Amino acid sequence: MAGSAPLPETFSDLLGLEQFGIAGEFLASLLAAALVGTFVLLNTAVAGPWAKRKITASFTDRISVNRVGPWGLGTIIVDSVRLLSKELIIPEDADRPAYDLAPLVLAGSALLGFAVIPMGNGIQVADPEVGLAYVFAVASIASLGLVMAGYSSSNKYSFLGGLRAVAQNLAYEIPLVLTGASVVIFAGTLQMSEIVAVQQQTLIELGPVAIPAWFGILNPFAFALFMIANLAEVGRNPFDIPEAPTEIVAGYQTEYSSVYFVLFYLGEFIHIFLGGALVATLFLGGPAGPVLPGIVWFTAKIWAVFLFTQWARSALPRVRIDQLIEIGWKGLLVLSFANLILTAVIVGVVGV
Amino acid sequence: MSLEEPEPPTTSEVGATEDGLDYDALEELVSEHVIDRESHVNAEALVIRPDAVQDTLSALKAEAGFDHCSAVTAQEYEDRYESIYHLKKFDDPTQQLSVVVPTNKDQPVSESAEPVFRTADWHEREAYDLVGIDYNDHPDLRRILLPETWQGHPMGKDYNQNQPQVVPLREHVNPLAEDHSAGEDSDTMFVNIGPHHPATHGVLHVKTVLDGEQIADIDPDIGYLHRNEEQMCEQSTYRHQIMPYPDRWDYTPGGILNEWAYARAAESMADIEVPEYAQVLRTMSAELTRIAAHMLALGTFGLDVYGDFNAIFMYAVRDREAVQNLLEDLTGQRLMFNYLRLGGVAWDLPEPREEFLDDVREFLDGLPEYIEEYHNLITENEIFQLRCIDTGVLPPEVAKNYGATGPVLRGSGVDYDLRRDDPYGYYDELDWDVVTEDGCDNYSRVLVRMREVEESAKIIRQCADLLEDWPEDDREIQSNVPRTLQPDAGKEVYEAVEGAKGELGIYMRSDGTDKPARFKIRSPCFSNLQTLPEMSEGEYIPDMVASLGSLDIVLGEVDR
Repeated sequence: MAGSAPLPETFSDLLGLEQFGIAGEFLASLLAAALVGTFVLLNTAVAGPWAKRKITASFTDRISVNRVGPWGLGTIIVDSVRLLSKELIIPEDADRPAYDLAPLVLAGSALLGFAVIPMGNGIQVADPEVGLAYVFAVASIASLGLVMAGYSSSNKYSFLGGLRAVAQNLAYEIPLVLTGASVVIFAGTLQMSEIVAVQQQTLIELGPVAIPAWFGILNPFAFALFMIANLAEVGRNPFDIPEAPTEIVAGYQTEYSSVYFVLFYLGEFIHIFLGGALVATLFLGGPAGPVLPGIVWFTAKIWAVFLFTQWARSALPRVRIDQLIEIGWKGLLVLSFANLILTAVIVGVVGV
Repeated sequence: MSLEEPEPPTTSEVGATEDGLDYDALEELVSEHVIDRESHVNAEALVIRPDAVQDTLSALKAEAGFDHCSAVTAQEYEDRYESIYHLKKFDDPTQQLSVVVPTNKDQPVSESAEPVFRTADWHEREAYDLVGIDYNDHPDLRRILLPETWQGHPMGKDYNQNQPQVVPLREHVNPLAEDHSAGEDSDTMFVNIGPHHPATHGVLHVKTVLDGEQIADIDPDIGYLHRNEEQMCEQSTYRHQIMPYPDRWDYTPGGILNEWAYARAAESMADIEVPEYAQVLRTMSAELTRIAAHMLALGTFGLDVYGDFNAIFMYAVRDREAVQNLLEDLTGQRLMFNYLRLGGVAWDLPEPREEFLDDVREFLDGLPEYIEEYHNLITENEIFQLRCIDTGVLPPEVAKNYGATGPVLRGSGVDYDLRRDDPYGYYDELDWDVVTEDGCDNYSRVLVRMREVEESAKIIRQCADLLEDWPEDDREIQSNVPRTLQPDAGKEVYEAVEGAKGELGIYMRSDGTDKPARFKIRSPCFSNLQTLPEMSEGEYIPDMVASLGSLDIVLGEVDR
């Protein structure tokens, strides 16, 4: 939270690492990154796939995993053994370095984004002044990973998927960033901790309940825009066309198997969770919430966004590629500009 | 004679009289080509010269109103080959005419009917593939069901059926090996969609040329599930052995509907009466399978448009499960029912009857709520409408020309349903409607299926009421049929029923033994699938996938 020191400093104080100079600083940062990474991976790699099965099953009136362990929790272990022990098949014509790097780029780019997210209780690896710009920047490296995967697989379906992914990310990144910018206008800063801090003020008192000034409540229009653009950004229905299984098999990841596939799968999950973390930070007051510690609230908010994406996936048809581009450029872009200008005018007049 | 020429008004149709067809007038119309006249059980047949097929058929189409070429049957006799064009009218399918084209044994060449009826394209390819008749003037006479490297024609007389032919992938023209790229400067890309692809509903291979995301050219390649069911039936006895096979054509499950096609043809050939009580049982069980088949069609269409992990597929399967349980109670089977018998059905309702009928009614009572849920979930969804309205457009004239039938044709606004137009079973005694939609697009075809489920429910409810009140001493489920059935030699029959996917026709010829000399299946999916290029060329890949889903093909029935 605002005011509390970033995680590396906490570690450094606790372990007395200042005396080692730059080496100590490095070690403290590494420890902090390891902690955040473990937290994120626990959510995305361990709980995510299991929860996704259970959630989708309840939406589609099925039972889902229930054989191994209570509530099928043992399936998590079964899944990882199964996926990691599969044969890694690499196409003959694959463009090797690009083919191998693509899954790493995808998973890594999303993981990097978590570095600046304040998760409550002082869990934040770094808090640069340009935090928000940094998140958007690293998250969009994922598009590069998708193109690399699509092009280097030397598969026509992968190629189509890669092209679709670029077209889609171009069309939806701009509305996403513009909507994020409207929050920046409100908050007057790009620093993530500050954005969270600004949202802690009370907007309105309803008897004993104080409604906080979360941007999602202040500007629900921007919130809705961001949620839609985020769905497209993470490639979930109705915008899952880069991998659209019934059209282009699995899109950019058609030729990936075994560990590479796991990395793709994981990358997607981390992206969804990063999207959730952004929504939580920008619009839902970050780790703020009564009684429970911040990290719990923060996790709950991410999972709420995850639930939303799975809901959309179960209930909404996917749009066609040309319709998707049309919605992106003619719809969301215009609306997000309108939102940005309106926000600027309101902030300018009222002077929040 | 151009294809686009509008149909002449019905009043001037040659040969159409108030008491049925005047075959003499029809013969007179094309008299210069006719060399003989035959009498089949379902209709008269004109035997014509093999070089006058187009003239004859186009005259019959334009002036006598035979606008529906239901099927093309090819067969080999001791002294000749024969192609039979089974003609019907979409306005009144009881008016039928067969055009028999004999060709000599040494050089079996006959003129193609493709310029007159587009549907003859695939039917003649199949005749060439399996029987070995060459068709002059055919635009693309290749094998269709068997691999290009296959030796001989398996339904011909001199084919060695004991000689196995293994076609390894190396020798078979491997469709996936060639790149088919049109050169360095080309803007197009060749993609094989299938035979293993999530959207092809089985093993269908669609050779696609893409221009960006749009489809420039498309060529469905079938035959991956070909088992030569026709020949299996030819080696089985009429009385007992053929009936299980129809369950294996359309297994979605269209089982009882398929069985009825065979039952109708065989009963018509051998003059078997079916007791009224058995007809009610048949009608009810057939409509139950129709609901199950349409539910699956709806669910898989959901898969195509929504992607996997969508709710609609599981909901449809959940509700189909209720039908499957009813069918299991009735027939003892969940998929391969084998319920119909010549002259009736295998079993009466399970005891206690009231309980079964209550189960049926309970299902029917719940159905409107399910349908409402589907409408809320899919047809009223804006994105779904965005995807399905005005995509995969199939104009009625094109659909007719391709011989499309069933929900596909009715989705193009053509009011054609054999249950009403060529009545059989108990349908004409019951109160129900034929569903049509005028949109001609994917959306209409889905709506037609959803509304047909409601109509089927109406039929089932009336049947259940009839069965409940049926006097106990009059419950005859099967008429007296000889143990061995040997129809007179030379008898030929072509009869069709309204299957789940459309007009399912069976042609049989008897040679006096207890097995048919020729057994031909007219599969509705086979004809419907031919329309895919018309619907999807120039559209996007997702629309092609949706169109394919809306055609609701079952490869088991396409390939037989």
